[in-house]
Amino acid sequence: MAFSPENPLSAEPEIETSHVDEFVEQLRCVTDSLPSRINIDAQSVEQGLAKLVLTLIEFIRRLLEKQAVRRMEGGDLSPEQIEELGLALMRLEAKLNELKSQFGLTDEDLNLDLGPIGRLI
Amino acid sequence: MADFDQILVGEEWEGSELSLLETLDHVLNRGLVIAGEITISVANIDLIFIGLNVMVSSVETAQEVLRKRELQ
Amino acid sequence: MKLYAYCLTEGLDTLDHAPTGISDAKVSLFKHEELGVLVSNSEIDVVRVTRDNALAHAAVVRSVLDRTTPLPFRFGTVVDEQQLKSYLTARKSALQTQLEHVRGCVEMNVKIIQQVQNDEPPLPEHGLAPEGPGTAFLAEKRREIIGEERKTEHGAELSTLVREALEGLIKDEQVTLRPAERLVFAAAHLVERSSVQTFREKMSEAVKRRPELHFLVSGPWPPYSFANIELEFLTQFGVT
Repeated sequence: MAFSPENPLSAEPEIETSHVDEFVEQLRCVTDSLPSRINIDAQSVEQGLAKLVLTLIEFIRRLLEKQAVRRMEGGDLSPEQIEELGLALMRLEAKLNELKSQFGLTDEDLNLDLGPIGRLI
Repeated sequence: MADFDQILVGEEWEGSELSLLETLDHVLNRGLVIAGEITISVANIDLIFIGLNVMVSSVETAQEVLRKRELQ
Repeated sequence: MKLYAYCLTEGLDTLDHAPTGISDAKVSLFKHEELGVLVSNSEIDVVRVTRDNALAHAAVVRSVLDRTTPLPFRFGTVVDEQQLKSYLTARKSALQTQLEHVRGCVEMNVKIIQQVQNDEPPLPEHGLAPEGPGTAFLAEKRREIIGEERKTEHGAELSTLVREALEGLIKDEQVTLRPAERLVFAAAHLVERSSVQTFREKMSEAVKRRPELHFLVSGPWPPYSFANIELEFLTQFGVT
């Protein structure tokens, strides 16, 4: 259906694609991730806060990992230092995983959508 | 998840599922307002997923509930 | 009685044929000098996201698109008359600036789905001594990070592809890149009304050039992605 002056703008927008099923599948995630109702019981409030806090920590942890890798590639760390750094980050990751499971949160849960900025993790 | 089950299932809809999803994607593009009188921008919360907005409302409501309980 | 606010408009005096709004309520135009807001009565504060409500919202916003370009409010914006009036008074010049930005334009959308790559080119070697769990951990992270960087570059390449195809047609854009997902690219473009047909043609050409990518082009829409307006109210904590 070609766009023409006879087709007013207040009509339904046109959607052009050769892959309807694929886009339907991908766009369903939009509705899946919306909240269905407000939970005011203490556990949901606590979990909501935990989600926020853990996501921020996870973000920082990822940044630390990236920095560590960059330094490692930069060549200014001795093999011993690399090993120390790696072990410390391993422990940090393990600790985060422990916290996540304590609150029953998965990696997906921590993936806050920041819109244009894109997913945090 | 009662509300959202209704969205894609249920009564007839003449348009295609794709056009429905695209419309939803646009209408809800910048999030939604959950509780009318409570702002959805607390510092930079505007950027944070609406799940957090729900949480913000819940925190406020929860504090209200706790405050009332203390008074009793 | 509260008001459900759909969108902000300019230059309208009456509504010729507004469809019914949320919960079949009648839609009217709340005027304040040159600005107007499409509203309907709402008995409740919290409007649920159901198919019917979302479609009603979309239909109301769309109904004025022939005559003017509206700025949509977020779904679920419920206010009272006094709040609306103060808002329009206090924010008048900022809102006028926003309206000017979208005047005469509509929103077009492009989305791209990619196939998830499984065969990656080999990584550059790092000459790490293969001992110690800490070192192995970092080597693995390095692999992951390089993989992510490659995906991000690919995403940026798609952005450029689309931007170049639509050169000269775009007044503003909002791009979301998700390098690790199949729906890797989603962009909203603010386009002059007269450019919509050319936009479609240019995208058709771009689609042909990249058969391995799956495109979706939709529009015209009211400028949902370019409406930086919200009705803000003080919370109990006094933050805005």
